[in-house]
Amino acid sequence: MSDPADTQLVPPSSVVLVSGGSRGLGLAIVTDLLDAGVRVAAFARTVTPELEKLTAEHPDQVCVGSVDVTDLRAAQSFVREVEQRLGPIDGIVNNAAIGQDSLHVHTANDDIARIIETNLTAPLQLTRLVVRRMLGKGLRGRIVNITSICAQRGFPGLVAYSATKGGMDAATRSLARELGGRMLVNAVAPGFFASEMSAVLGPTQLEQIVRRTPTGHLTEPVEVVPVVRMLLREHTNINGQVIVVDGAASI
Amino acid sequence: MHSLGCRLRRMNELSRSQIRDLMAQVLKNQDKELPEDDSAQLREIGFRSLDFSELALRVEDETGEELNFDAPGLRRIATVSDVLDFLVELQHQ
Repeated sequence: MSDPADTQLVPPSSVVLVSGGSRGLGLAIVTDLLDAGVRVAAFARTVTPELEKLTAEHPDQVCVGSVDVTDLRAAQSFVREVEQRLGPIDGIVNNAAIGQDSLHVHTANDDIARIIETNLTAPLQLTRLVVRRMLGKGLRGRIVNITSICAQRGFPGLVAYSATKGGMDAATRSLARELGGRMLVNAVAPGFFASEMSAVLGPTQLEQIVRRTPTGHLTEPVEVVPVVRMLLREHTNINGQVIVVDGAASI
Repeated sequence: MHSLGCRLRRMNELSRSQIRDLMAQVLKNQDKELPEDDSAQLREIGFRSLDFSELALRVEDETGEELNFDAPGLRRIATVSDVLDFLVELQHQ
């Protein structure tokens, strides 16, 4: 079915659901959106003291839940609770993911399944859940998928992880088409964070990546957050894109 | 498995010397030699990370048990002895 282009603008998101919002980049996104006056619903497997502190500081602006992203039923309950407390969700940041640090041949099949379930199946299902609610209410909204440079470049020890991130990049493009301009769907693909480098790649690879990065340093969450905010809040015509934030390490 | 302070090998577990033999085969297939001295540096004998994977898979073949492990443990491996220790230990997990 071919529809005429929807020329109505997508307004800035006012209630944003952030998965994996308890630490690292997710927590930085939650903090930044709260500072920008956005109402934020954040969930993660474990609610950290940092997230609890934000809840205490912004009681009317934030809703926090201890939800495993792979538990769709729990996510559904949380979404309903959020909508009662903060209003209809019109933005989602798919940030929750688990990492990998094992060569493919030495990764247990169960672990491969778990990585795919958490990093690919769960965000697709969460997106479906929220988009259905938005469409049902006639809302326009924005979706930001946090992917990774691993989706575009090869790194040892990250085969299944890279496959899931590549999958989300691909889903971003197709969903942008499918939603026909009623929602802006984009992905942000950070390079390696300094904090995770030592865990994912060895010190030699770390030095090599820094040396090859024109900006001379690894990506920090604070450098990614403004891009996420822009995609959720600014009036742009960016849709179906993957924005790489890696200091040009990958070009 | 512990018994009266002695570590007993499981039925399908390879000994350190059996793993050493397999390691020698991996190297021999590349016209390289495994030195007598277990303190020899892997870098010097040309035993690379994929060779380690090949060895681990050969151990799996012999024991019928999958040996899965994360990468950080591998980064501490520098000598022949480290390789043997790692694989012997891995079989106990």
